[in-house]
Amino acid sequence: MKVREIISSHVLVIGSGGAGVRAAIEASTHGECVLVSKTIAGKGGCTIMAEGGYNAVLNCDDKTDDHFADTMKGGAFLNNPELVRTLVTESPERIRDLLSWGAVFDVTGECSLAQRPFGGQCFPRTCFAGDRTGHEMMITLMDRLAATEVRICHEVTIISLLCEGGRVIGAAGLDRNGELIEFLADAVVLATGGGTRVYDISTNSTSGTGDGYAMGFRAGAELIDMEQVQFHPTGAVYPWDARGRLVTEAVRGEGGVLKNALGERFMTRYDPQRMELSTRDVVARAAATEIREGRGTPHGGVWLDISHRSPEDIETRLPTMLEQFLMFGVDIRKEPMEVAPTAHHIMGGLRIDRECRTTVPGLFACGEVAGGVHGANRLGGNALAETQVFGRRAGDSAGKEPVREKNLNDSAIQLVIRDLKEFSEGQTPAREIRTRLQEAMWNGAGIFRNKGALQHTLNEIDSLDQVRMKATIPEEYAECCIVKNMLTTARLIVRSALTREESRGAHVRTDITQDWDNASSPFGHTHISQKDVSIEHREGA
Amino acid sequence: MIHLKVQISRFNPQGDLKPHTKQYAVDVNEGARILNVLQAIQSQDPTLSFRSSCRAGQCGSCAVRVNGEPKLACMAEATDRMLIEPLDLPVIKDLVVELVPGINSIPRIHPCDCHDIPDPAQIARLKPLRDCIECLSCVSACPAMKVTDFIGPTSMRAQMRIALDPRETESRIRDAIAQGLFTCTSCQRCRVVCPKEIEIPGKAIEKLREIANREGLTLPRHQAVADLVKRTGRSVETSDKTFLDQVPDIIEPFGEVKGEVGFFVGCMFNGRLPERALDLLEVMKRVGIRVIIPKDQICCGSPLIRTGQTSFLDEIKEKNIRAFTSRGITTVMTMCAGCGSTLKHDYETPFTVKDVTEILTEIKIPLPARLGEIVTYHDPCHLMNGQGISEQPRELIRRVAGSFVEMPAQCCGSGGGVRSGLPEEAAALGELRRSAIEATGADSVITICPFCEYHIQEHTDKPVKNLMTLLLEGYRKKEAQ
Repeated sequence: MKVREIISSHVLVIGSGGAGVRAAIEASTHGECVLVSKTIAGKGGCTIMAEGGYNAVLNCDDKTDDHFADTMKGGAFLNNPELVRTLVTESPERIRDLLSWGAVFDVTGECSLAQRPFGGQCFPRTCFAGDRTGHEMMITLMDRLAATEVRICHEVTIISLLCEGGRVIGAAGLDRNGELIEFLADAVVLATGGGTRVYDISTNSTSGTGDGYAMGFRAGAELIDMEQVQFHPTGAVYPWDARGRLVTEAVRGEGGVLKNALGERFMTRYDPQRMELSTRDVVARAAATEIREGRGTPHGGVWLDISHRSPEDIETRLPTMLEQFLMFGVDIRKEPMEVAPTAHHIMGGLRIDRECRTTVPGLFACGEVAGGVHGANRLGGNALAETQVFGRRAGDSAGKEPVREKNLNDSAIQLVIRDLKEFSEGQTPAREIRTRLQEAMWNGAGIFRNKGALQHTLNEIDSLDQVRMKATIPEEYAECCIVKNMLTTARLIVRSALTREESRGAHVRTDITQDWDNASSPFGHTHISQKDVSIEHREGA
Repeated sequence: MIHLKVQISRFNPQGDLKPHTKQYAVDVNEGARILNVLQAIQSQDPTLSFRSSCRAGQCGSCAVRVNGEPKLACMAEATDRMLIEPLDLPVIKDLVVELVPGINSIPRIHPCDCHDIPDPAQIARLKPLRDCIECLSCVSACPAMKVTDFIGPTSMRAQMRIALDPRETESRIRDAIAQGLFTCTSCQRCRVVCPKEIEIPGKAIEKLREIANREGLTLPRHQAVADLVKRTGRSVETSDKTFLDQVPDIIEPFGEVKGEVGFFVGCMFNGRLPERALDLLEVMKRVGIRVIIPKDQICCGSPLIRTGQTSFLDEIKEKNIRAFTSRGITTVMTMCAGCGSTLKHDYETPFTVKDVTEILTEIKIPLPARLGEIVTYHDPCHLMNGQGISEQPRELIRRVAGSFVEMPAQCCGSGGGVRSGLPEEAAALGELRRSAIEATGADSVITICPFCEYHIQEHTDKPVKNLMTLLLEGYRKKEAQ
């Protein structure tokens, strides 16, 4: 095995969701930029699937201070305030970028952007394009990307970051034939999205396998709050193979109500003030509790009912949802949907500063793979805003990195080749390891956690990591690498979950009693890197 | 669990000269999609290549052909004995095709650096064109792309989106024309296969042709047709006596009256092929339907709509509707597929519009005698795709033909103004029909659209018969027995 091609540029962006494409657009204004996508560019990741909306303070009755406060409160005050301030301040300008590039959002009669309410927010500040907002953003960004000089490498799976002298200098990737490509760059931007495909039931696309977390970790970067995994309250439960498919929060934003099998509107028991528009962690736990306590629907979910809205409203505001459920025999204009919590978003990720620098020189991160913006729970609509605010910042910062002489790093690439060759000598198909990992994570590190189950899950992950995976053909190398990354990401989640000995936001420890609330918690971020895993203690707590 | 057998097209350019089909058997969960089947097969055979990403019908990565029809593998339910093939695009391997060049050729907006946003009316017109997930199913299905340099349906959708957007800095209509705007045959295949049901023919192609018309860029032959309609109320020059010249206002059946319809004849049957419409009346007499024929009906306007020349369309619609309502007609029968599609979709009529094949399959018609010949059937685009009618004509054929051989549906090239405006393209598509007809071994070709009948007869040595003529032959044979 040898390197098929070497591609050199000023900036390398890994990932082609909303954050990656935005980073590439910005980086290209500074010099040569290469964008690598695991899928055809623009078709992978979660941005294209995101339905609900983009949060921005546009209305003069709304305030960035309120957006800030809602985000911090929703994040159980675990967010990095500096990053949140950046998000809420710059989000309005970034949506204006999208509009100037041709985005088609819903508008009001007064020719301003329509905005709808979303969970955990005191003002309707979520801009939307029907229930396909992420798709609208994605096709707009791809239009804009086409007007740049960015070189796109479609369908290349990055399997490792390349380092020299403690600095990230590039990456190694496999094309769809399993051939090796070496990328060299002055700066590398990770925009690889999330990783909840480590769970059995997940909203994520096929690329949500946590590769960026794992590669960043192996490159020496520090990650924060990896235990903070958000379970979206509403995912499909039937048929079997559609489990986990997202039912957008926009359904609740448009008035959908949750009921258990007894017909009770059960949110009265959990958040009588905000009901269905409570934060996702609260609604997810509520639904999971109803199911666990025997009040679940026939396929193990709860009912989400929007049928009291007029058919015209549903057809206009929720066309994707209507279409998807019709495909499975359910007409949401007339009957409720059966839904259950599904693994959705990792709030933690690579530690970044406002300039999106990670703790490793030369490595930047933006979008879901970066940690700190959302704290312990993410508000709906903030993720799309994050992709644009921090995507631009990452591209700009990476672009401003000095140009360096690029030397082929033969020893680093030889390590990659050696690891790949080991897969030829393994025995177990990667998909078996993947399936067992997903089951272990779902059962032991899901919505409700305890030390015993977490430790057991960690042991299971370690066992799975020892199994030698087999690649019978070169095309399978990528899958083996991905499953290795899934194992690493899962381990990061579980080790962080063991370290946070409190219930905070999306992270619930049923084995710990605490006498503090989120605002007064004695704990700050969890940190995990190759050197150690620890948790901050906050001063004055 | 359910057990399925499927056939998959396999092709590896590094070893195979051409694609071959391989059969697999798999167990999948109830309600499994085709993507789940492919994943199960890949676990048996790791060499199988296919794409997927979102698994929710939103990214367009996984489109394949299933039993010949483009579908998203993640959304279409799996069935037993499916044939799964790649889209009709250059194949990289197995079910993986070249998508990037097609996506890259889609026109992109060049917005001005202003801060205007579209108003609600503009948004409402733009939104239906924005749902495209660039799966290229429409490109796979488009007949015009097979014989011309047409850039494709989704690119026309993009051109129309650009034309509608107030932020766009320049007119692109000349580009759209150069990219093949007038090569579209209006066969509606792109709308039928679109997983987002985007109405590209009606909301993009025809609207772009209207823009071209306003800028004086309509094809000269199309303009000549519009002039003819304006002058005579008809879109074709008549051959001799028209159908309407030869018939009374009301045709009574031979026996008991089982129903009553108004008959919208259409220009081709009226002026070029009146004998076919006369055959229809003979069938109606025998099946018990009273036929009322308003003499003041005119062209439905379809040739104007398809070519974007709509300035006097409203007058035409009004006159036609009045012709039937003034006689108290509640059901209007069409025989021409294009007229039927137009009355159903481009008009708002107070009466019900039904194709003759719908009417004949709804009532219990007397059985004709069986004829000896082997026939095949050409699906007219405006009937199959435009009106969703494909089974009714087959049901009628099976009652009268000696034997019936299926032929894959494909546009013959006579629609959308292509036969008049771009005759070489129409001829190229017609030659594809010749090959398909010969492959069936049939003695004759049955169809029921006058444009298809006229055009295919120029491209085959076999007789092309109207379905009504075939039925009448069956009835006459029975009467002779």
